[in-house]
Amino acid sequence: MAKNDQRQPGLYRRALLTGLWQENPTFRLLIGMCPPLAVTTAVKPALTMGLSVIFVLVCSNLVVSLMRNLLKPHLRIIMFTLTIATFVTICDLYLKAFQPQMSEILGAYVPLIIVNCLIIFRAEACASKCGLVVSLLDAVGMGSGFTIALCVLAGVRELLATGRIFELQVMPAGFVPWLAMQMPVGAFVTLGLLLGLANVVTRKEPD
Amino acid sequence: MSKVKHFIQQSWLLLASSFCFGLLIAITNAGLSPRIVQNEINKRNRMVGALLPEARNFIALDAPIEIESLQGKKQKVEVYKAVSEANECVGWSFNAAGPGFADQIVLVVAVDANFEKIASFDVLSSSETPGFGDQIKYEYYRSQFKGAPAGQLKLVSIGEPKIIDSQIVGITGATVSSGAVVDILNTFLGGIKAQMKEKGLIGDGKE
Repeated sequence: MAKNDQRQPGLYRRALLTGLWQENPTFRLLIGMCPPLAVTTAVKPALTMGLSVIFVLVCSNLVVSLMRNLLKPHLRIIMFTLTIATFVTICDLYLKAFQPQMSEILGAYVPLIIVNCLIIFRAEACASKCGLVVSLLDAVGMGSGFTIALCVLAGVRELLATGRIFELQVMPAGFVPWLAMQMPVGAFVTLGLLLGLANVVTRKEPD
Repeated sequence: MSKVKHFIQQSWLLLASSFCFGLLIAITNAGLSPRIVQNEINKRNRMVGALLPEARNFIALDAPIEIESLQGKKQKVEVYKAVSEANECVGWSFNAAGPGFADQIVLVVAVDANFEKIASFDVLSSSETPGFGDQIKYEYYRSQFKGAPAGQLKLVSIGEPKIIDSQIVGITGATVSSGAVVDILNTFLGGIKAQMKEKGLIGDGKE
């Protein structure tokens, strides 16, 4: 299958780069929208969530790609879920052991990665059809695109809600924090504005 | 026989994967759980050490105290005796939990040696809204409890927070979370105090 992957020129590059912008899960495909709305109150938890998603996505894509020829069509979803749940549990245990503060902040949203449709979507659309290398690159690309989107959202919200980013004061002393940016409304408004901006950037001129 | 064969043909991958993934999780859990447990103990010790700075050691009572929780269920609570370097009792500490605005709030509570006054409390875990409900962790709210009577507390919306008495001034915009803390303390302080008096651990019949 790896040989088949190589037959199409630029396949590896496309697999890696598509998720960053052209098919960015958050800004272009609008999938896996729970973490962008729930864990973007600050950049640190957003980054941790993004890295967790990359880990789960890479591991699940690799395992699904390895077993793709053995998958029965009617059992594939349960196999994907089983694979994803395993790696999410490992990730959750790791965070509890080595990043206990972050694990507390993220709370139930780490276990909820199991039902993040980005991961199951990539297992179905890519890993179950492609070789190991393409699946790996796709996971890295999609996961990175997702992480960047989370960090951008979190950056805007943290900056406006606290005047700081990564605990560094950015806004001038007279800045009045917008507490609403830490609330769900802040997530929806910021996401809406960023989606609008992404649409403006990618808008094509009519023929 | 053909049914069994069909079952195995269809599900062998699922069964084998479940076994392998289960084993992987078990190994990870076995490797990380001592660290996770230690993290929880460290966090509690750090908090309770800050609440009762003169304490050098915390000794758990021989048997847990049974109280009636906020939900009306019987609940066992581990109570720790805080002893100084001179091996004198300088206070008591215990974990108290109850429903908050978003999820369960778990507090670490410390009281004086006679169980007459609250030494202080800290929030062990909570998922209260950032910027609003999570202000229960902040010093300006918690300081109202330092020296307050270890009896029935009352939440008020208007008052002077600097006056230490049984009236606790709620946080504007976080009435539910402030009230939850007061309810948790009322339930646990009352229940534990009564049981400890019965057992002769505090009061006139002190051992």
